[in-house]
Amino acid sequence: MKNSNSIFKKITTIPLKFYAGILIFLPLLYIFILSFFRNDYYGGIIPDFTFDNYRMLIDVVYLKVFLQSFLIAFITTFICICISYPFCLIIKTKKETTQKLIMTFVMIPFLTNSLIRTYGWIVLLRKNGVINQFLMGTHLISSPLSLMYNYFGIVIGMVYTLLPFMILPLNSAVSKLDDSLLDASKDLGANRLQTFFKVVVPETLPGLFNGSLMVFIPAIGLFFISDILGGGKLMLLGNLIKNQFLTARNWPFGAAISITLIIITFIFVKLYKKIGGKMDDLGGGL
Amino acid sequence: MKKIVILLVIIFLVTGCTSKNDAGVVNILNWSSYIPDSVILDFEKETGIKVNYGTYSSNEECLAKIQSAKPGTYDLIFPSDYMIELMKKRNLLEPLDREKILNWNNIADNYRRLDYDKENKYSLPFLAATTVIVVNREHIKDTITSYQDLLKPEYKNNIVLLDDQRIVIGMALQALGYDMNETNKEALKDAKEWLLKLKENVKAFDSDSPKTFFLTNEVDIGVMWNAEAAIAKNKNPNLEVIYPKEGVAISIDNFALPKGAKHKEQAYLFIDYILRPEVMQEIIEDYPYKNVNQATNLLLSSNYLNNPASNIPDYVIKNGHFVNNIGDSILDYDKLWAEIK
Repeated sequence: MKNSNSIFKKITTIPLKFYAGILIFLPLLYIFILSFFRNDYYGGIIPDFTFDNYRMLIDVVYLKVFLQSFLIAFITTFICICISYPFCLIIKTKKETTQKLIMTFVMIPFLTNSLIRTYGWIVLLRKNGVINQFLMGTHLISSPLSLMYNYFGIVIGMVYTLLPFMILPLNSAVSKLDDSLLDASKDLGANRLQTFFKVVVPETLPGLFNGSLMVFIPAIGLFFISDILGGGKLMLLGNLIKNQFLTARNWPFGAAISITLIIITFIFVKLYKKIGGKMDDLGGGL
Repeated sequence: MKKIVILLVIIFLVTGCTSKNDAGVVNILNWSSYIPDSVILDFEKETGIKVNYGTYSSNEECLAKIQSAKPGTYDLIFPSDYMIELMKKRNLLEPLDREKILNWNNIADNYRRLDYDKENKYSLPFLAATTVIVVNREHIKDTITSYQDLLKPEYKNNIVLLDDQRIVIGMALQALGYDMNETNKEALKDAKEWLLKLKENVKAFDSDSPKTFFLTNEVDIGVMWNAEAAIAKNKNPNLEVIYPKEGVAISIDNFALPKGAKHKEQAYLFIDYILRPEVMQEIIEDYPYKNVNQATNLLLSSNYLNNPASNIPDYVIKNGHFVNNIGDSILDYDKLWAEIK
């Protein structure tokens, strides 16, 4: 019985292994090998082994691009956390059917392509867009606010697009949170803030890290949001990589940036696993 | 087990790729928004040839598609000047058979035998585009004649530029008196300083639809391709179209057959169809770039002819500059672009 089960498992996982092998591993291997090659005059590839592509990356210009990308990703993650915690705690108090309904609403935007939704923001945020016209119409402001084509617009777009990725894992962690713990904390004289930081956050840390990872990593790569809502004035890692493959026709360098980004991502995942693992241990102890 | 799976995959891929050659098909890879759908449908109706139409949004994307696809995937492409030169050197193009293109002579003489393909062995111009400065005269009254004028501090956050490093860096070089294809490192350093100053005034870099920035009053000044400017000018007569005194950037798109094209006959029929005066008129009135078809000239509407953005005068074209291949210096350009962003 056990044996047939494992055969069944093997068979059913073949498509997945296949998918991972052919569509993920092989292209990545290609990118990895490419990153040690040299490009020629016309954007072709010369198979000479070299570290030059990685050496080129150690330059103030490219470090600036890395920093800009991480800064935007960090701000986005932070804002997503600030919105998601209250959101999850509030829907935890609702009836189960209401909870399900609200979570469905969180998912509904996925039915529309994110590029199109981003264009929708232009209508709201532009100089004579809906928000500015409303504020001017009600005489709250006298001249239009700059809501897009700057950092503000980029962060709005990022938070909007990635918020569900924070809410979903965080909500599953918060909904599992035992109400009696909150009651106990209250009975023992903790105020709401103390309860939040001393009970809720530690108990839901795996969900928080999971969500942070799912927001932080895509935020580094979503170059179209910075192009559309930031007016293309900020170069993020995604733009830099895209440029290497298209305009500069320097595929090896683009590959080297991608590999560096993957390594950094791996470090974050490891970090998460470390912290997530510890949390599981603690949970078992309780 | 693994080997069997790999074998199956290979068989699947191989058999999947070798489809039989249909006689009545042409696979076209063209710029997005360049030929109205109605033209394609009319061609299909008249000839019975089925058109498979793919698009790209930059020359580099076209190159990447041609290089990564199996030869014979595409039959007709529309690369610009410098890309023709590059594809020629990389042996990616089929020579054109002039006998098969009956309307060859419809292309104006001054657009034939251009530097990037001196004998028109591989390419025939389809249309031309130039950059222009657009100014909303409702809000900006100052005289603007050159790129240098765009640096004025009063234009803060009021300019839209193309999101194209060669065009924008070229602008800076021209404003500083260099050639737009200059590769000297000192010149590029000057260009960087100039662009950092200009960036204070830039609201956005956008190549997809810079006209929208004018139609929504987001900016009052812009540098864009002439067709975009022409459409914006049609919608808002207060816009003035200016040819910068440093000289415009020119791009000429061409008919070309990629190496190994399988449906050459159909591709030639398509080229011939497009070169017909009335067909080209339909295209050029819809996407008002600069017409290079002399037979079409007689048919153009007054709307097209009177619009300074669509009907670019010949002297402007003559004093314009092409984007050239600059070899490895593209890496310096790319770095500069990252620096100013």
